[in-house]
Formats: sequence, structure tokens, C-alpha cells
Amino acid sequence: MGKDLLLLTLISLPLIGAAINGVLGKKMPKLIVGSLATIMVFVSFLIGLTLFSGLDKTTIVHLFQVAKFDDFTLDANFQIDSLSIWMTLIITGIGSLIHLFSMGYMSHDEGYHKFFTYLNLFIFSMLLLVLGSNYFVLFFGWEGVGICSYLLIGFHYNDAEKGIANSLAARKAFIMNRIGDAGLLFALFMMLNKFHTLEFVEIGKMITASPELYTGIACAITLCLFLAATGKSAQIPLFTWLPDAMAGPTPVSALIHAATMVTAGIYLTVRSNFLFELAPTTKDIILVIGIATTVVAAFIAMRQNDIKKVLAYSTVSQLGLMFVALGMGAYTVALFHVTTHAFFKALLFLGSGSVIHAMSDEQDIRKMGGLSKLTPITHITFLIGTLAIAGFPFLSGFFSKDEILAHAWMSSPIVYGILMIAVTMTAIYMFRLYFLVFHGSFRGGEKLKSHVHESGLSMTIPLMVLAVLSVFGGILNLPGIVFHNAGHWMSHFLESTTYGLNQIETEHMDGKQSIILMCIASVVALSVMTWAYITYVKKQAVAKEDADMNAWEKLSSNKLYIDELYQTIFVQPILWLSTTLGSQFEQRVLNNGIFRLTSAIEASGNYTRKWQSGFLSSYLFWMVMGIIGFISYYIIKSTFWN
Amino acid sequence: MELIILPLILGIIAFFLPTNWVRPFGLLASLSVLAVSIVHLMNFDPANYVLILNPAEVFPLGLTFKMGYDGLALVMVLLTNAVISIILLANWNREISSNARFTGLVLLMQCALLGLFTSLDGILFYTFWELTLIPIFLILYWFGKQDNNRALFKFFLYTLLGSLMMLLSFIGLAYFSPNFSYFQLVQANFDGKAVEAAMIMGGILFAFAVKIPLFPFHTWQAPTYTNAPMAGTMLLSALMLKMALYGMIKWMIPIGFEGLVYLKWPVITLGGIGIVYGAIIAMKQKDLKTLFAYASISHLGLIAAGIMLFTVSAIEASMVQIINHSIVAVALFLCAGIIEDRLNTRNIDDLGGIAKVAPHFGFWFAVMTFISVSVPFTAGFIGEFVLIKELFTAHWVIGITAASTLVFGAVYMLRAYQGSMFGPTKVTVFKDLTWNEYAVFGILTLAAVGFGLYPQIIIDFIKPSIKFTQELMAGDLTFTKK
Repeated sequence: MGKDLLLLTLISLPLIGAAINGVLGKKMPKLIVGSLATIMVFVSFLIGLTLFSGLDKTTIVHLFQVAKFDDFTLDANFQIDSLSIWMTLIITGIGSLIHLFSMGYMSHDEGYHKFFTYLNLFIFSMLLLVLGSNYFVLFFGWEGVGICSYLLIGFHYNDAEKGIANSLAARKAFIMNRIGDAGLLFALFMMLNKFHTLEFVEIGKMITASPELYTGIACAITLCLFLAATGKSAQIPLFTWLPDAMAGPTPVSALIHAATMVTAGIYLTVRSNFLFELAPTTKDIILVIGIATTVVAAFIAMRQNDIKKVLAYSTVSQLGLMFVALGMGAYTVALFHVTTHAFFKALLFLGSGSVIHAMSDEQDIRKMGGLSKLTPITHITFLIGTLAIAGFPFLSGFFSKDEILAHAWMSSPIVYGILMIAVTMTAIYMFRLYFLVFHGSFRGGEKLKSHVHESGLSMTIPLMVLAVLSVFGGILNLPGIVFHNAGHWMSHFLESTTYGLNQIETEHMDGKQSIILMCIASVVALSVMTWAYITYVKKQAVAKEDADMNAWEKLSSNKLYIDELYQTIFVQPILWLSTTLGSQFEQRVLNNGIFRLTSAIEASGNYTRKWQSGFLSSYLFWMVMGIIGFISYYIIKSTFWN
Repeated sequence: MELIILPLILGIIAFFLPTNWVRPFGLLASLSVLAVSIVHLMNFDPANYVLILNPAEVFPLGLTFKMGYDGLALVMVLLTNAVISIILLANWNREISSNARFTGLVLLMQCALLGLFTSLDGILFYTFWELTLIPIFLILYWFGKQDNNRALFKFFLYTLLGSLMMLLSFIGLAYFSPNFSYFQLVQANFDGKAVEAAMIMGGILFAFAVKIPLFPFHTWQAPTYTNAPMAGTMLLSALMLKMALYGMIKWMIPIGFEGLVYLKWPVITLGGIGIVYGAIIAMKQKDLKTLFAYASISHLGLIAAGIMLFTVSAIEASMVQIINHSIVAVALFLCAGIIEDRLNTRNIDDLGGIAKVAPHFGFWFAVMTFISVSVPFTAGFIGEFVLIKELFTAHWVIGITAASTLVFGAVYMLRAYQGSMFGPTKVTVFKDLTWNEYAVFGILTLAAVGFGLYPQIIIDFIKPSIKFTQELMAGDLTFTKK
């Protein structure tokens, strides 16, 4: 098979899976539904590997022309290059593991086939997003993943207790994402007007040929692109939907709201790196927003008591970290963190899913504790995930975070300092979570305890695979000091699709500085771990009830009151406007105006009535008669006398 | 010519049929008209005009009685015939479909609409414009809610006023053209009298603005929709509104282009206001039909503003969006109709949990909701994309205003859907869909997805018809593209 055929198969397999399960799934046994969906994604992954191994230069696959308008065309084209294939591997690789996990996790759910239909549909949309060769296809996928995300967050809309909350969370996610989408739309329009094409390669060529022509427009475009990225990747100000999105089933949180969809904003930025390189102002804004998000989200995560909420804020915080890298122009570094984050965050979410499954759907960590003996595999893998995200030496998160911190150190010690605070907070909330869940004594009561059990193989296998990846993921992009020539494999691999600061890797800071930074990071991770162990295991501290909290804890636990703030300054005014316009303006102003006019006409009507019989009937009647008469006259004439 | 005569004859026959024949007759009649128009389509070459009535002489008062179609008109003809069939199909399981008067009126309505779309004579156009009023008025009067006189009166008053202005404008046009033939009118020479041209076009535009309806001429719409039977709302929203948009593209722009310079931005502004205004009001509406009516103001504001840009892309996208809106209108009002049919209420506050008792309806209503918020793979996605793009190109303020529909549309549609289908189970008995409702939803989805994946099919058809825009743009000096 040629490359283009392989690519089209790769994209269409999940769609076929969705179609089969959507139509026939209800009547098929669960095992077949789940296996079909999983196999579709896994085969896509294998095809992705084939393409990956045969990767040379950028290949464009033209499928068809969607529409040709006056001065531009919209094409369904796809692109094979290192960036798109790398993202494909993450999506389908992690995707098939999570599909496998879902087969066990969702086994008691009545909407089983629906779930796998949506999940496959999501993979398909996500593949469109990363494999499109122009912004139009990207936008197609971008909107598509938004819908799948909406469907999956609100998957349990029928739940007796949480049904309403679930569907409200889904709605919030969709609407907030749409605000970002508007930004993407404007960016697309500006590009169409300036470049008359949306093809990445074409735009890249034009810009590299004469960058000075485009500095102004690049700033405007990138700002809009970044607005879109804040929506999809949950950055300030559009981040509040992601924690609420945890209403979805846990595999969804792992796949969509941790590993893949939320990194679409980073993908978009990396894909448009030629534009961002022309817009230093935007990059500064990204840097600031990234830093703010990473700190704020880490702060909030410290006092959340819902196991998934902690992980959700952690995701927001980690995404902020990636944007910091992007703001510094270190595109490949951001992608490295995307990759390792996909490993360990998917692992953590699936681990939490396994915990929730074992706890009969209880998510409150105040009711957990001592699970390490009851669920050994989940425990070990969750520990690995925790260590990886906290930056324990030589695990994957350690290396990817270190790259970002090193860049921060080189750009400004202040940025480095703030990031270190965020990193410390990350370690704090993760170890707090880990110790509260897996150590100490069980706090959920005897009845619940008797139900606690380790999950089945279909759930533990993905956990183990992801754990292995979380441990060794760092090998993908080892810093130069470890293997002087073999280092930074991933950066070199992605170099062809990015410009920017990649040069920095090759002329990385001298070994000494690098080692010092690594040591600092290790010391921080280890000391936080020790501190958390003493607090939560030795002293047996438990998460406080809301009433006992001091001021900062209340702030953290109430998410800095940002939801309330948005409610007051955006939602309420618009709803007020809606009511006022609907009842007051519509009725009083517009309607009354018309009825004044009516009375005026009535008055004049009285006058005219003298020489015109029944107003409506005669007027219309004679008109109809006239027209019918004329037409029939003419038809008869043309038929018979010609 | 059989295209127009056939529904007229069938409609008249329908009035005299026994009750149990009416329903199959109506559907078969509309399908046969559709078949006739498809035959026309098969023999059609978009590059040419097809004249179906072409008297050589000019009648008194400059009447010419020319009728015919180009690609643009044929698209509207097909749309009309398809939508009429779908409306009758959607009503199959309702009592109204066995009513001889109803079926007859729908077919007469079809006749009037086809006449309007194929008119190539100003006065003929005006006459058909008026003729469409009679059947719809009678449908609303006979089959609407009992106490709807006030709403009907408002509707009638508005449209009457609009028609009056249009008539005056056509009379005014007589000064600038030897007769009322479309081909003469488009060559009307205003001799640089742009203000006169603007006034004449203003009259026609007023009639269109009422019908679309453009803010602030929309107050007839919500009460009329609410009181109308389902079929009446569908006819109004899916077809009658389109007469005005078609009129703008086909008649207003080519005839009075010199005068439109003055009207361009005012109309675009009103369209822009309508987009936001309709959407904001829709957010808090409780009656599903009222909600959809305001949503329609928002959607149509976008199309009207797009048409007034006079760019080829915008008009092409408008046509895609016109078709999309017909699909959406039938879909949403069918959903509202299904709910009202089963529960005798459309108030969101009284609904909830329907998806649980009627999962199939829950699914299809969700699909229709997504089609109406213009997700990828639906026609609205492309239409909205290009329309907002063209508006944004003309001026960024109007572009951003128009793009708000992306967010607001999601707000009110998801609220409508979730409020009625999810949430606390207030509804315990709900008969799931009947076969004809499945069929309608299926057809609409196919159409929306088909045009969403390949809108080019519409564009290819209408491209030659709207070439004039390009020529006008190139030729007219007083008007410069931004």
C-alpha cells in the first residue's frame, strides 16, 4: 500500500468502528463491541508505526476539494510529517490502552456500545485534527473533538443524583470551548485574507521567504490562535471547564481531558510555530499565561478532596507548564512534555478509575485510605505515576520537566523561581493524594471495605504498560550530558517541522549547570516526599473538613472563587439582558410601536372604507382572479392557437 | 409550465377528495411535483436560462409574463418541492394530514412558491409574493390556535405593509425600464440617480425585511410561530422566509445595485444586531417554538448580512446556508411538534427526562441540535464559516458580532435540548417516534451531512447565476470593495 492509502485507512478505521458500533452495537455482545472498538484503534496505531518507520519528507495526501469559493478553496488534505505522526502515535497508542481499560471499567454500564461509539468517534476527530494539512481540516477536527468531549462528559446524563450536574458540566465545556473556537475562526479568516490558503506548508513557505512582510498580521493571528488554545487546553481565562469535565467516566478523563484533546492547543501552537516566531509579543503573553495557569492550578489542586479533581487541576497546571515552554519558543520540549504527560497522566487517571471502580464509585479521598494492600497493582502503578509527575529522579516526568526548567533558567531566573514553586506544589498535592488514598487506615466504613477489590486484567494491563512507559519515557529525549551524541532524539526527530529555539538543545548549557538544576529538582521532589510521608503516614493527618480550614485552604478548596466570579461578571448580565430584552424591550418598545401604527391605520381605514368594500377579501380576491385569468388565457392561447 | 400548473390542479383536486384519500394523495401529489422538478434538473445546464413561459409581445402596463429559471431559481424550486414533501411526510401521523382543506392549501402554497421562484417579470413576482399569503393565512387561521387573532392580525399587518411598499417600488421602477421583464429590469438605467434607486430598492427591501424578518421588523414572528400549527410554522420558516432572501439575491441586487450602496451597511448592521439580539432573547425563552423563532432571527440575520456584502463567496455561502436553514427549521419545529403532540406543552420547565422514556427521539433531537449549531460535517458548518469570513473581511466588528452566534447558538440550543430531554424525570409516558418521523429525521440528516461534506454541488449550480455580482462589482465605480 502506498502512503496515502495507509493514511486514509488509519484515519477511517475508528470511523468505521464508530459506525458499526453505533448502528449494530446494541444487539451485539459487549465483548465484541469493546474488542472491535479497541482493535480499530490499535490497528490504526500499527499503521501509524508503519508510517513512522518509513518517514522521510513531508507528504501531502489530497482527498477531495470540499468547496471552491470565489477567492479561496477548502480542501480535505492530510499531511504526513514527524509532528503529525508523533501525535498520531500518542493518540492511537494511549487511545488503544484506554479503550482496553474501558472494556473492563464500563462493563456494568447500559450505554456500553454508545460509549465505544463516541470514543471511536473522538479518536477519528482527533486524527483529523492532527493529520490535516491545513487549518480548515484542523478546525474540522477541532470542533469534532469538542462535540465528542461534550457527549462523553455528559455521558451519564440519566444518573439519578448527578445527571443534571453531568449535563451542565458538558454544556459548560462545550460553550467555553466555543469561545476559543471563535478565536481560531478569526485566525483562519486573517490567514485566508493574507495568504489566500490555509495549507501549513504554503503559509510556512511564504513566511520564511519574506518574514518582514508579515510581522504585524502574525501578531494578530497568533493572538487569536492562542485564544483558541486557551479554550481547548484549559488555560486562564478559559480553564474552569476542565475540572467540571471530570463528570465524565474516568477513561474519558484519561483519554480526552489529560492525554490527547487538551494538548490540541499545544499542537496548534507548535504547528504554527513559524507564525509565533514572528510575534514576540504573543510569545510573552503565552509565557505569562502559562506561568499564571501552572501556579494557580497547582495551588487549587492542593486542597481538593475529589480524587479526579486533584488530577484535573494537575492537568491544567501541567498544560500551563507546556505553554511556558512554548512561550520560550522551545517547541520540541513542549512536545516532549506532552508525550511524557500523556503517559503518566493517563496512568494516574486510569489508576484513579481503578480506585473508583474498587470503591464502588466513591471519589472522595477522605473516605479512602490504606488501599495499598487491597489493590496492589493499582497501588504500584499509581505510585509510579505519582513519582513520575512529581519529578522523581530518572523517571519520565523528571526529564521533560527538567528541560522546561533549564530553558526557564536560561531565559530568566525569576521564571525559573516561579516554576520551582509550582513544581514543589505539584509534588505536595500528588504525594498528599497518594498517601491519603493508599496509606493509613481505611476511612470508608466496613461495608464499603468488604467490596473493595483489585480490578480485572483488562484494566490492570493498560496500567502496567503505562507504568513502564512512565518510567522509561524519558529515554525519548535524554539530555545531552547523559549520552553526548545520542541525546535529544525526539528534538532532532521533530526538528524538521519546527523552527524556534531548537538550536538551544545542541548548544545546551554546560554540563555543570545542568547537573546542578537536576540536583535541585531531585532534592525538592525527595524532600516533599519525605515531608508528605511524615505528615500523612506517620502523623496520620487526614484531609480537613471544610469548617476547619484556614484562609488559604479555603481559597484553594473553593477554587479561588473563579467560577463565582465568571458567574457574576459574564453569565448573570447576559441572562439579565435576555430577560429584559425579551420581556421589556420586545413587548413595550417594539410591540407598542406597532400597535400605535395599527390604530393609525385603523383610523385611516375608516375613511377609506367608504369607497372600498371588505379590505382583505376583495383586494386579494381580485388579484387572484386576475392572475389566474391571465395565466389561463395565455396557456390556452399558446396551446391551441399555435 | 407543468411545474406550476401541476400543484395548482392537484391542490384544487385535494379540496374535493374524501377524507381517507387525502393523506396518501397529498404525499403522492407533492412527490410527483418533486419528480417533475427532478426531470427539469436532469435536463438542465447551469449556464443557461430555461424559459417556461415566454410570450413575445408586451402586454398593457408593461407586463411580460415571462417565467423561467436559472440555477439559482432551480435550486429554490427543488428546495420547495423537497421541503413540501417532507412537511407532508412529517404530518403523516397527525390528524391534520387527512384534512382536505389543509392538504389543498399546502399544494396551493407550493404552486405560489414555485411561481414566485420562476417569475421573470416584476409584477408577476409581486403577484406570487402576495399569493403565497393566502394559503398560509388560511392555514394559520383554520388550523392554528383558537385565540390567535391578535397574532394573525399582526402578521397580516406587517406583511401587508411590506407588500404595499414593494408594489410602490415596482411602480417606481416602471420609470426606469421599458417593461417589467426581469431582463429589462436588470438593465434599468438609473442614470446616476442613486438616491432614487435607493428609495425604490428601499421599498422592496422593506418587504423582504419584514419577511426575513430583520430586526426590528420581527415582532410578528414569535407569536405567529407559536400559534401556528406545526406545518404552518415549517412552511413559514423553511420556505416563506427564503422568498425574501432569494428576492434579495435574484431581484434586488442586480436591479438596484446603484442604490444599494446606501442600504448596504444599514442592512448589514441590522443583520448583525439581529444575530446577537435573537440569540440573547432565545437564551431565556421557555416555549420551545418561541425559542426556535428567535434562533431563526439570529440565523437569518447572518444570511441577510452576508448577502448584502455583494461578494460572490458570500452569496454562494448564503445559498448553502439558506438550504441548511430550511433543514434546520423543519427539524427543530418537528421536534417541538413531536413534544407538543405527545405532551400538549412546549414549556421547557414542564419537560425533562424525555430522553429516558423515548431514547430514539432523544437521539434524533440531539442530532438535529448538533445540525443547528453547525458542527462539522453539516452544511451549516461551511455556510457559517464562509459567511462569517466574508463579514470579517468587510469589517472586523461585524465579523466578531457574527461569530458570537458560535457561542450563543450553543448556549440556547443546548439549553433547549438538555432542559427538555435530560434532567429530572417529569415526563413518564412518551410515545417514541413513528416511522414517518424516523424517515424525516433520516432524510434531513442525510441532506445536512451531504451538503456539509460536498457543498460544491450547490455552488456549481448557482455560480453562473450570480456572475452578475462580479460584473457589478467590476463595473460600478461608486462602490468599492473594501
